[in-house]
Amino acid sequence: MTEFKLPELGENIDQGDLVRLMIAPGATIAEGQPVMELETDKAVVEVPSSVSGTVKDIRVKEGEKIKVGQVIFTVENGAGSGARASSPAQASAPTPQPAAKAPTSSAPPTQTEPPRTPAPPPQPGPTEFKLPELGENIDQGDLVRLMIFPGTRVSEGQPVMELETDKAVVEVPSSVSGVVKEIRVKEGDKVKVGEVIFTLEGGATAPPQRPKAAPVEHVSGQVAARLAFQAAIKAEGKTEEQALPPDQPQPIPQTFTMPVQLGKVAGTDHGEPVPAAPHVRRLARELGVDIHQVPGTGAGGRISEDDVKAYSKALLVSAVQAPRATHFAEPALPDFAKWGKIERVAMRGVRRKTAEHLWEAWNTIPHVTQHDKADITELEQLRARFAPKAEEAGGKMTVTAIALKVCASALKVFPQFNASIDMGKEEIIYKQYINIGVAVDTDRGLLVPVIRDVDKKNIVELAAEMTQLSQKARDRKLTPAEMEGGTFTITNLGGIGGTAFSPIVNHPEVAILGLSRSSMEPVWINGKFEARRVLPVSLSYDHRLIDGADAARFLRWIAEAFEQPFLLSVQG
Amino acid sequence: MADTSNLHIAVVGGGPGGYAAAFLAADLGMKVTLIDPEVNPGGVCLYRGCIPSKALLHVAKLIEESHQAKNWGIEFGDPQIDVSRLRSWKEGVVKKLTGGLGMLSKQRSVQYIQGWAGFENSTTLRVTKADKTEETLSFDRVILATGSRPAIIPSLKLDSPRMMDSTAALDLADVPATLLVVGGGYIGLELGTVYAALGTKVTVVEMLPGLLPGADRDLVLPLHKRLEKMFDSILLNTTVAGLKEENSGIRVTFSGSAQDERVFDKVLVSVGRKPNSEIAGLENTSVTVNPRGFVEVNRQLQTDDPVIYAIGDVVGEPMLAHKASHEGRTAVEATAGHKVAFEPNAIPAVVFTDPEIAWCGLTQTQAEKENREIKVAKFPWGASGRAMTLDRAEGMTKLLIDPATERVLGMGIVGAGAGELIAEGVLAIEMGALARDLELTIHPHPTLSETIMEAAEVFYGQATDIYRPKK
Repeated sequence: MTEFKLPELGENIDQGDLVRLMIAPGATIAEGQPVMELETDKAVVEVPSSVSGTVKDIRVKEGEKIKVGQVIFTVENGAGSGARASSPAQASAPTPQPAAKAPTSSAPPTQTEPPRTPAPPPQPGPTEFKLPELGENIDQGDLVRLMIFPGTRVSEGQPVMELETDKAVVEVPSSVSGVVKEIRVKEGDKVKVGEVIFTLEGGATAPPQRPKAAPVEHVSGQVAARLAFQAAIKAEGKTEEQALPPDQPQPIPQTFTMPVQLGKVAGTDHGEPVPAAPHVRRLARELGVDIHQVPGTGAGGRISEDDVKAYSKALLVSAVQAPRATHFAEPALPDFAKWGKIERVAMRGVRRKTAEHLWEAWNTIPHVTQHDKADITELEQLRARFAPKAEEAGGKMTVTAIALKVCASALKVFPQFNASIDMGKEEIIYKQYINIGVAVDTDRGLLVPVIRDVDKKNIVELAAEMTQLSQKARDRKLTPAEMEGGTFTITNLGGIGGTAFSPIVNHPEVAILGLSRSSMEPVWINGKFEARRVLPVSLSYDHRLIDGADAARFLRWIAEAFEQPFLLSVQG
Repeated sequence: MADTSNLHIAVVGGGPGGYAAAFLAADLGMKVTLIDPEVNPGGVCLYRGCIPSKALLHVAKLIEESHQAKNWGIEFGDPQIDVSRLRSWKEGVVKKLTGGLGMLSKQRSVQYIQGWAGFENSTTLRVTKADKTEETLSFDRVILATGSRPAIIPSLKLDSPRMMDSTAALDLADVPATLLVVGGGYIGLELGTVYAALGTKVTVVEMLPGLLPGADRDLVLPLHKRLEKMFDSILLNTTVAGLKEENSGIRVTFSGSAQDERVFDKVLVSVGRKPNSEIAGLENTSVTVNPRGFVEVNRQLQTDDPVIYAIGDVVGEPMLAHKASHEGRTAVEATAGHKVAFEPNAIPAVVFTDPEIAWCGLTQTQAEKENREIKVAKFPWGASGRAMTLDRAEGMTKLLIDPATERVLGMGIVGAGAGELIAEGVLAIEMGALARDLELTIHPHPTLSETIMEAAEVFYGQATDIYRPKK
């Protein structure tokens, strides 16, 4: 395999921003062909390839800062100056390593690779285990507990770690079998789908593993490189910075453990000492940044104050912008500390996911909210009568439980409310099933468990299931599967108060029903005012798919169903 | 961040951890009560440890050098030792320092109570004062800094004035003709050195195959050689099987490598230290004490009882004053709501023998145990001009370097003044310095500190004062 590294671009230019990539994996390139546009301090330049062959693995992304000497891509069946440049030590190094290390070594969060990228070079046998897909919209999680050690024999299906996702704590089973060689993550890490968790000692059909002597060879390669570069300094009268080929970012040592003496200090179960000065470590702690995650830009991976600040900023920005990196950037915030004391807290877990999801929904869906009122005087009497029956079944006969049944019936009559839009294909997806999500307020934030096949269950069953799922949500026991596959959502703020509100549609659904607090109101019936219990209902919908008149009809249908409960049995 | 200026903090124990914590808390505006059995703050370090032993070791070094001076053409004759004046000089040093701390407490309006504290509950202490009166006091937070004491092994227990622990040895009641030091750790070797210099024939017995277990062997070797000349004998792989008091002294039976009986005027037992975690009423709190006797704390030095913190020897190894004072400061900052944690990259360790041994960060022993790939660069003091002028060429400076990043991970020094030199290594490790940084930093000539720079040069294959033929 041959590597193409960023060549010298001119005097005093040692890096540039990658504006445009002109190649893709699989492309055939010839020596001299332009492969990318790079913006340096001085100009935008087209960079021609010095190698030819088939592009295999591209190691950079548009928008990245690239240094002279950094590997841009690798080619197969290649030839050219790149081949001569690569030392024997590099050639003997196993290929998956650089790709696998990329997420942990230096990429700041804004630039992290999107999950589900195709696995880099195809391997003859499964020699590493990557975090598999965990469920809809879950692309990462916090590693809570590792269940394996180097040397552990794992078999397919055996749980190897516990991962806390935005939605639940899940056990992740291995998809490979063999003896664990190296573990690439540690407890507390944020792990992404596709990230390498561990490597195996010799996969099923793996090629002969890296010979034991490899590390020594690696060192001698380094020594050789150092001698070569010292000679270069002498010959060219350059400074070390200019002459040093800053190829891949310096790997931060992964396996360092504290000396016994320190390891024994009670309460200080240190990981690795971080190459950061004490005041920098303190700053990180004050900003709520895990110093172990901060990529150091200094020699030997040393982390500066600026590195910590930049990382902290990127964290905050990515929390909001990650889902739509291509959208406009949020306007910069003022320095709030100017006007008084502030505290910055990292957005985590449910809060982060909610922020991302609602931001996405709000920016995708043209929202309209329709308000109406339902007279539930008679329904309340029924509710009181059937409450003991529901309790017998282990549930609570709530307005929400009844609303589930009402909505399921309405969705059958108005199928466009039980649909999704595929703008890419310009298609509407009608779902032949009715699964309704119910927003539950927990101390971790908003969770939406989904009740399946609502149309096939009676109200007592729905009440029981609702009670059970709400409790699970509050106990953090919901599984990701229990929050997936909804076709419509109900959110009930009646327990708290309010007369009306505009809920945001739970994308990719197209409508959501909001319930406010019911109250006694005078209602004009048969020529006089009567005291009736009235429930305000609010329907937000995706105006791309649903017209205003349909929405008004849909909501009126729901209101009437509340008013005349027996309609449910006739029409539902 | 909560306003913490109204907090009332109790610090139990006035050693280097306790008084550092108390003084910082006072400087942050908290109300502070410091409780300790001694007249003034100071703890073991000032009263019975670091300070008195260093005063005596200073004298020991002077006596040794006066002997060595013969080689340089100077003869002083045998020293006339006035033990009582030596003792009162040492006590004067202690008094001056502890008195100074008492003064600093007053200036900071720290309420100092001479007495013992026990818990009624997490925030209420019953203090038994030196005059036997009792008082019950309430606090918002309590910091335990109760320290440690010499460990006693039942088989070495003998009720006799000839038996000493480190405290008794530092009292310097007399200069015995013969002394057995049980335990070849740093306390035994430092005190053995003092007595040997004063004229005692010293024997050291150590159960393990080497002195200073845990330290790198190449650092211990020069010390071992010198101690072999200074001491009567060093018995390794040997334990004390029996002790019997006789008229002429204590008859000691050895087993292991040396299997005989010898009679010593005095026996010093220095087999380690035990944490003082048997605090009255601790069971009335949620504090957890682990099976080794250490109080369990998190990185903020907070115990399992959220209003109680613990620092210093009582929370774990290494039992060193400088670790305790840093923990004390961290604990106080944590109570003040600052986002802090005790997570140093390196804690230096110094053995004040002659030559001194000091190290910090990763040790070679540890790296080998972990099978961790490192590069070791050594600079022998035989090539140091300064060492030659001191007639102390037996020293050595070494760096432990990560081959991938060239980061300095550890430093070890044996030689005169190693304890002062090691600070540079600690700074290098804390700052994430590369060997290149040490190499390119100009060090003053002629000093022993140059050996650190030259060790870094050795790593890069070229050192001014060492010739290495080209391959």
